[in-house]
Amino acid sequence: MTTVTSTATIEVLREGQGAYLPVDLDAFRAHVRDHKDRSLTPRLMSAKEAVSRFVADGDYVAYECNYLMRGPNAVVHEIIRQQKRDLWLAGKFTYVDVALLLGAGCTSKADCGFFLSTPGIQKAIDAGTFEVFEYSNVVMALRLQAGAMGVPFLPVRSLGGTDGFEHSGAKLIRDPYSGKPITIVPALNPDVAIIHVHQADVYGNARIFGTGISDVDSALASKKVIISAEEIISTGEIRSAPGSTSIPYYAVDAVVESPFGSYPGTCPGYYGSDPAAVMEIFQAIMSDTVPAYLDKWVTPFATFQEMLEKRVGLQKLLEMKRREAPAREGYRA
Amino acid sequence: MTRADAFSDREVAMCIVARMIEDGRTYWAAGGGTPLYSVLLGQKLYAPNAQYVTEDGVVAPEPLLPFEPMMTMVASRAVHHALYWGTMNTAGFHAQLGHMDYGILNTLQIDQHGNINSTVLGEYGPGSRRFGGPGGADTIAACCWRTIVITDQIRRKFVKQVDFISSPGFLDGTPGARERAGLPADTGPWRVVTPWAVYDYLDRRLRLIGRVPWVTVDEILAECEWKPLVADDVEVLEPPTEEEVSLLRTELDVRGQTTDAAGSWITWDGAKYVRA
Repeated sequence: MTTVTSTATIEVLREGQGAYLPVDLDAFRAHVRDHKDRSLTPRLMSAKEAVSRFVADGDYVAYECNYLMRGPNAVVHEIIRQQKRDLWLAGKFTYVDVALLLGAGCTSKADCGFFLSTPGIQKAIDAGTFEVFEYSNVVMALRLQAGAMGVPFLPVRSLGGTDGFEHSGAKLIRDPYSGKPITIVPALNPDVAIIHVHQADVYGNARIFGTGISDVDSALASKKVIISAEEIISTGEIRSAPGSTSIPYYAVDAVVESPFGSYPGTCPGYYGSDPAAVMEIFQAIMSDTVPAYLDKWVTPFATFQEMLEKRVGLQKLLEMKRREAPAREGYRA
Repeated sequence: MTRADAFSDREVAMCIVARMIEDGRTYWAAGGGTPLYSVLLGQKLYAPNAQYVTEDGVVAPEPLLPFEPMMTMVASRAVHHALYWGTMNTAGFHAQLGHMDYGILNTLQIDQHGNINSTVLGEYGPGSRRFGGPGGADTIAACCWRTIVITDQIRRKFVKQVDFISSPGFLDGTPGARERAGLPADTGPWRVVTPWAVYDYLDRRLRLIGRVPWVTVDEILAECEWKPLVADDVEVLEPPTEEEVSLLRTELDVRGQTTDAAGSWITWDGAKYVRA
């Protein structure tokens, strides 16, 4: 038997000074108890209904992966259409999303893992209308994992020693077991997660194929979860291969049927990207002309579907699907 | 191997890194661009049993080349025929566990102790020039056993102290600084590669150890705001080969997005290489 030595307090060696979304585990549990539907009740709805019911001004929003790669773009467009304001974005693994939502007037803050910095972002930071807190991609994913585990923080072996640490909610503590320094980062429980998946049933049991960033953790960590799905499949099909279910229904608040929902990006295994339209969004954010982009791709249309029909067209969509054929292996239950 | 007649600065850097790729080792390549193309080039020509991961948790893919523009992760062609498909935390955890021998990344600015900045130029806050942030590089630089940094040989990029440490090098350069910050023991910066030069570290300080034939040590030092140590014998590096540049152009960076983004061209004038 070894003796257990108890220390009265855990020594905090250094603390980051960045604001972070407060963590309240029991408030989260109470929210789950009171608002998550644990019955098998269909929750299929339009993007319009999902966004108006589950995205509020000022919400902290996590999106998965990004606008170019299996992004929940049908839902992003709807957020822009409904002019949601003051969103706080989990800006990890991001090329264009932060700049797009800033240009659309929807966001005022972001936690940074990586997002392409643009003239619009620069202007907003300088004007004090957009605030950034510093993490890294993996640290953001780990914060979501802590959120998805129902614990207040997790230790991590990066971020320590960086200036990002100083502008984050991280702390360097003395590990009470080994006595060695270790960084801890606060859990992240977003108000809302928006995630595009390959398949889901009407209850929200969802299948994601291929690699991803933090889809499952974002779903479980978030108070409100909107899933958009390429295909709605039967619950019988879900039950036939339960090992392929990525997200279970009780984490999910809304399911939106969104074929080609990641356009102009790729939904791996289903369709490739539209390279010309991908370049267009880069041009829009780098030349600070997001409003013109929105006037072309978002605001004239009542739905994402209508945009696909009128602006993109069947021929292009089928071409994107055909181009994906050689790489389809592995993308099925 | 035939020496290539004409190539770009960026191609040179990728060829130098490709020759460093060690067979049977694991590489975490940051994002797309030069890190990923360097690993692929090394794997195809010199180290067939080197493996790589990217941030989306793909382990040892056999990608379908070329990629669609910007689609170097998550996309099906990038993760094709992998041994494992995971998530970002998979990549982070595997690096934390010690499975990643090398990390390869880019940077905006690097200092004498190998700290790298990809966040802001100038004093942090409104008025400073904002860049993308560390992305996966913070974890790569913290947790891979050895880190290779690729950057351009430009004066303002080599500084005494970076404006912002986005990803850790040897921090303040004192022994044990990384461990005191909670980072894994025995890890850290290993090489810096530019189109002109290769650096290692002596006592955690940047040291010039190699140069390409068409530039002198003095020319390199003129492109370093903070002067690195200089090895007693600075090795003269072999120029790119036809095989290397042809693979880069026909299979990897076919649109030249990475190659042509910056720098100048170097050509063989019949007697020597000259910079355009």
